[in-house]
Amino acid sequence: MEDTELEVSPTPSDQNSPSPSSSPSLSLPSTPSSSCAPPPAATPPLGVISEGVAELSLFIDAEVAQRACQEVLQKVKLQQVEGDVPSQHSGAKPVPNSPPVALTASGKPMKIREQEDDPEGLAPGSVKSARRRQRHNPSKQSWLLRLFESKLFDVSMAISYLHNSKEPGVQAYIGNRLFSFPHEEVDFYLPQLLNMYIHMDEDVGDAIKPYVVHRCRQSISFSLMCAWLLGAYSSDMHISTQRHSRGTKLRKLILSDELKPAGSRAHRDPLTFSLIPFCPTSSPATGPGPLGGDHGLSPSKRTHQRSKSDATVSISLSSNLKRTASNPKVESSQDEVTVRIIISTPVRLAPQREFIKSLMGIGKRLATLPTKEQKTQRLISELSLLNHKLPARVWLPTAAFDHHVVRVPHTQAVVLNSKDKAPYLIYVEVLECDNFETSSVPIRIPENRIRSTRSVENLPDCGMTAEQRAGSFSMVPNYDNDDEAWSVDDIGELQVELPEVHTNSCDNISQFSVDSITSLESKDPVFIAAGDIRRRLSEQLAQAPTTFKRDPEDPSAVALKEPWEEKVRRIREGSPYGHLPNWRLLSVIVKCGDDLRQELLAFQVLQQLKSIWEQERVPLWIKPYKILVLSSDSGMIEPVVNAVSLHQVKKQSQLSLLDYLLQEHGAPTTEAFLSAQRNFVQSCAGYSLICYLLQVKDRHNGNILLDAEGHIIHIDFGFILSSSPKNLGFETSAFKLTTEFVDVMGGPEGDMFNYYKMLMLQGLIAARKHMDRVLQIVEIMQQGSQLPCFHGSSTMRGLKERFHMSLTEEQLQLLIDQLVDGSMRSLTTKLYDGFQYLTNGIM
Amino acid sequence: MSQVEKKAGLLRRTSSSKKPLKEKVVLMYDEIFAKEDPAKHNSRFWDELFLMKVNLEYLESKLETVDGEEVQRIQDNINSLFHHCVQALGEEHQIKVVNALQTLCALFRGVHQKNKSASGFDIINMLMGFDKAEQRMKDLMERLDSLLCGDGSESLKSLCLKLLLCLVTVTDNISQNTILEYVMINSIFEAILQILSDVSSRGQHGYDAVVLLALLVNYRKYESVNPYIVKLSIVDDEPTLDGMGMVVHQALTEYNRQYKDKEEENQGGFFSTLTSMVGSMFIADADEKLSVQTNEAILLALYEAVHLNRNFITVLAQSHPEMDIAATPMTPTPTTPTTPLGTTPPSLDMMNNPELPLDPNLLTSNLLITFLKYASIVMQDTKDEHRLNSARLCLIILTCIAEDQYADAFLHDDNMNFRVNLHKMPMRHRKKAVDKNIPSRPLVCAVLDLMVEFIVTHMMKDFPMDLYLRCVQIIHKLLCYQKKCRIRLHYTWRELWSALINLLKFLLSNETTLLAKHNIFHLALLVVNLFNMFITYGDTFLPTSNSYDELYYEIVRMHQVFDNLYCMVLRVSTNTGQWKEAASKVTHALVNVRAIINHFNPKIESYAAVNHISQLSEEQVLEVVRSNYDTLTLKLQDGLDQFERYSEQPKEAAFFKELVRSISLNVRKNVSLNTLSQDVLLKEFSTIS
Repeated sequence: MEDTELEVSPTPSDQNSPSPSSSPSLSLPSTPSSSCAPPPAATPPLGVISEGVAELSLFIDAEVAQRACQEVLQKVKLQQVEGDVPSQHSGAKPVPNSPPVALTASGKPMKIREQEDDPEGLAPGSVKSARRRQRHNPSKQSWLLRLFESKLFDVSMAISYLHNSKEPGVQAYIGNRLFSFPHEEVDFYLPQLLNMYIHMDEDVGDAIKPYVVHRCRQSISFSLMCAWLLGAYSSDMHISTQRHSRGTKLRKLILSDELKPAGSRAHRDPLTFSLIPFCPTSSPATGPGPLGGDHGLSPSKRTHQRSKSDATVSISLSSNLKRTASNPKVESSQDEVTVRIIISTPVRLAPQREFIKSLMGIGKRLATLPTKEQKTQRLISELSLLNHKLPARVWLPTAAFDHHVVRVPHTQAVVLNSKDKAPYLIYVEVLECDNFETSSVPIRIPENRIRSTRSVENLPDCGMTAEQRAGSFSMVPNYDNDDEAWSVDDIGELQVELPEVHTNSCDNISQFSVDSITSLESKDPVFIAAGDIRRRLSEQLAQAPTTFKRDPEDPSAVALKEPWEEKVRRIREGSPYGHLPNWRLLSVIVKCGDDLRQELLAFQVLQQLKSIWEQERVPLWIKPYKILVLSSDSGMIEPVVNAVSLHQVKKQSQLSLLDYLLQEHGAPTTEAFLSAQRNFVQSCAGYSLICYLLQVKDRHNGNILLDAEGHIIHIDFGFILSSSPKNLGFETSAFKLTTEFVDVMGGPEGDMFNYYKMLMLQGLIAARKHMDRVLQIVEIMQQGSQLPCFHGSSTMRGLKERFHMSLTEEQLQLLIDQLVDGSMRSLTTKLYDGFQYLTNGIM
Repeated sequence: MSQVEKKAGLLRRTSSSKKPLKEKVVLMYDEIFAKEDPAKHNSRFWDELFLMKVNLEYLESKLETVDGEEVQRIQDNINSLFHHCVQALGEEHQIKVVNALQTLCALFRGVHQKNKSASGFDIINMLMGFDKAEQRMKDLMERLDSLLCGDGSESLKSLCLKLLLCLVTVTDNISQNTILEYVMINSIFEAILQILSDVSSRGQHGYDAVVLLALLVNYRKYESVNPYIVKLSIVDDEPTLDGMGMVVHQALTEYNRQYKDKEEENQGGFFSTLTSMVGSMFIADADEKLSVQTNEAILLALYEAVHLNRNFITVLAQSHPEMDIAATPMTPTPTTPTTPLGTTPPSLDMMNNPELPLDPNLLTSNLLITFLKYASIVMQDTKDEHRLNSARLCLIILTCIAEDQYADAFLHDDNMNFRVNLHKMPMRHRKKAVDKNIPSRPLVCAVLDLMVEFIVTHMMKDFPMDLYLRCVQIIHKLLCYQKKCRIRLHYTWRELWSALINLLKFLLSNETTLLAKHNIFHLALLVVNLFNMFITYGDTFLPTSNSYDELYYEIVRMHQVFDNLYCMVLRVSTNTGQWKEAASKVTHALVNVRAIINHFNPKIESYAAVNHISQLSEEQVLEVVRSNYDTLTLKLQDGLDQFERYSEQPKEAAFFKELVRSISLNVRKNVSLNTLSQDVLLKEFSTIS
């Protein structure tokens, strides 16, 4: 028993001394960090690797990086054989007397820095001792190398080694290896990477930087993401250090837009990177983040891409020209401006930054208004102004696909419930495209153009494929040729309108009453029963999906209750862009004045647990929602669609949760209800575990959503780990499990309740197995952070303890039972709800 | 400097009082009106002339005194004066440009005043000479266009617009102003648009530009193809359209504000409501009328934009914070720097200048709301001709809006709720509504409120039949939209029903007097058909099933009115007479209402008898109604949800001709007042240059 557990999940970072008992074969499979041992500790390989870094800053390309990695590995292996001797040297007399070849420029200052910067006051002695250990354990290093080369080595492990390893060689190697991982996988750990870049020592920073710079050159969205995160995670530093910190500098560099694919320059002198083998970029003498040499060194490959984007610019320019051809005078001046700017350097990041900035500006201004109603009205009018600037090369970073924002249906926006801030929810119409950087920006279609498209829209499109539909849409007249469409004759007709034509063409066919159609066909009088009309009316009113009543004090309730598909359909119908096949609707919550860094951390943990549970095939259900941190006090949240808060459910329906579910899904024995119940249980189990592991607090009903399928979704992770609201000592229970919840699960004796407990057990076991993947996310973010969730010293220890590594499965089961019982009986949950009701009016 | 100026002023004053000392410019005018070519002796005559301060009165009066034969003699000189004026417009020297503009003004006006009866061709001949007219006018329009679009002085632009307004309004009937033919050929439409699209120029000249446009659109509107109509109908540049909307918005807002101030002023005393009612009718009228009249032009512009331009409808719903006249306009300029990526960077200037002022007390408003408020004020009192015209125009605009799908969409948008404080006439039997408690509702509710308010308040001897027809038709169009799109508006339909029933009652009791002037059966038919809409299609747009019961309750409660109406129309339709056919249509339309009354009345009576209740409560009647639906059969009537679309030609043509005439007179009067104050302007230039 003990053995197997050790094998499955050894606790690595804690065990600073590698237990001799753990055989190499055990460390291979799934342990990312068996110790902080750096593999090729010897100085000669170090020199080689630092050269590799230098190369990389020139050849920043995934393939090249891969090659570099392999080269490095090769050399490391070669030197491994004779590695003992020099390492002994360096171990004996660390700084001054080491061989000149071995101690290249990067070697020496590293050690000095360690003395100065290491927050834990790690003495150089510990490095020495670590090396000494390696000497005793030479086989270990080769195993580590094999691990690095193996297929099992993934981003998670890379991040972990990057964080735990004190050895510049390993860090540099991993920095190179980052290039070979898929972008999406690395992107998940971007907060961790950047936090390490900001708060850890220079070697880690130097290892990470080439990768970040490379990706920034490639992608506008990555650049902005980095800039935002760098800003947010630098904010906890003291103001004086912050200004000169690496993070701030990199952020400035990105925002200055220096990091564009500098194709033309590289093209001009293609020899730059081959002739100058080494540039001061990676030399520590120039201090952290010597950015001067960075631009102009990107590969000439980019030229092609660049010219392509220029071409698209000219396309969109010409379309711009066409758009407002009706006003030639105004036009010409506009075009001149455009042309002039095109000649000067393009500003890649500006549109998106302005877009975000104006969204934040709206939030700030809304916060000054006293009532919800005023806020809502202001929001709508502000957004309608924003609409004038769209479409543009802007996008929502929370979306999963490339797109351009074309319109904000301003009347759909709602202000969310919050006491003193003004978060708001907007819907955003976008057009999907291949690549938002290169695809041309859609042409603006004026608002009222929907009227003409609507008739086409209304055609029955049952069974139409996408192509067919696209074909049919091409029949929509091309609106750009307005002048042709509105010839003089049209105007004549407009003045002398023939009543017959119009009365026939417009509304005479009743859409809903079959009777009226027949009445048109036959001249015989048609009779209808008044009772039928009355019945139809009440039936249709009853049939309509239960909507919430409009409440000026809670405008979001109605908007959130409307099923997402219906909303999409409705907005699409009302949109001038709705007829386009690549039209999509997105939504986003704009938060202004709130720190979303904890939310982001929670999102990452949830996402990690979700994939762990998926991997282990445990049917727990959780819904991590995307978080975009824009700064330490602003950001965006991807809203959970088709979900309303329990508070809104209770207030609007005046029913208990069970009764509400019965009302929404049907009788207790129907399949609809049963599947809703199953969803409820699975999500409840998932979130119970999350709440326990992360110590999520502030669990009032306003922070728990119920979606249309019966899942509950916890939102607002403002109080996790070491922080809890106001420290009133409420909510001492592990998670929120009210009798209402238990009632939905069929009572404490029911099968579903047992299923719930079983799910929790399975979930905990699975989570325990991959504990490191969770811990690592939190641990790295703790670096340099002032977030309240890291308050105190025991945050990590507490988190780790909640995984209960030492317990057997039987003991775990007992633990779960205790937790569930405790939460059920917990008076504090009830107390807390009462407290919330009294103070915030949340039911 | 100031002393010198003072002296000059003194000198001028004395010179004008003492005849013998004539101004130099007057002497030069005299020379022009002499037979000989003034440049014959003085080759620099024209140069000098335009350096002189213009004496408008003298020049105009001189032109007026010239009689038939003299005209022939001096025509060459006048032609050459006109020619040199046009040339002077291209001068660098701005004083010359100003003087030339003013001289042209005087020329146009003087010539027209003298020759009111003369044909347009004679006037053209006198001013420019037939053979050269085309070239001269082309030059003039091009010069004006470049002045309006250039970066020159704002006062100069203002003067250009004044000249154009002056030219457009020299005749009472704009269509008889033959010179405008050249303005049609040489369009200045683009210049007007540019003024409207630019924030700063809009602020200063927007009003004039909009009025000018409205007038130009009405030149020979029905007889020929007017390029301004064509161009206005295809404008789709949003900043420009927005600009136009802003100008209208500001003008109407200003009027609303003035009205409110006055109202509050009057409400000081104890019998305030009484006096304000009387007061507003007799005392305060003088200046108020003026502004209603001035706003006719603005309303006309709004009408033309709504009627002609499909894209303008969006502007109606464009939100703006409610503002005072001084507030800066806020539509983004079209010259926003565009990024190389080919798009306008979002909201660059939105961030740069915090456009929306941050006053929490400001209500958000839009053009439509302002317009509705304005309409509610104007429609209060329709006795005066101008007010009647304005009210009619307001209703026509509302008709166009109600027919527009997009406009209907935002009128009914559940997410766009507004508080609209409509003005209600103080009346004896009702208190003035408390403004503050108006709920925030979709805009269509405000439109319906306005219609109900009108119906209730205008049942008078001098019956505004035409307005009533429009009013009922607007309601009908809105109902058709709601039925078609299944929009269940939460509106207190009961108020509408009882207003309509009262209207029928009024028609009945004043049958004889009204019939002398109007076809009351047409109106009655429309009203009854509104009820038919509710009865047969209520299932598609009523908000609750209760409201359908209430409809029946209301009909049954007021059955006497319907009974009487039926008797009346039956009587008229059985007699032979001009109303026979119209009346019989109403009898047919009444079939369902009568079926309802005949079905439920006995049921209610027997219910009362069985339960020994003399007076049934509303709840009891509703109960009877609910339980007896199933035995009632209704007839489905055709075409209830069809309506005749609005068309200006031929029905409204006469109205618009008269309206434009009235606007022309008004604008001419105001322009002539304004041109005198151009002295200030001259001074500005003289100090600059």
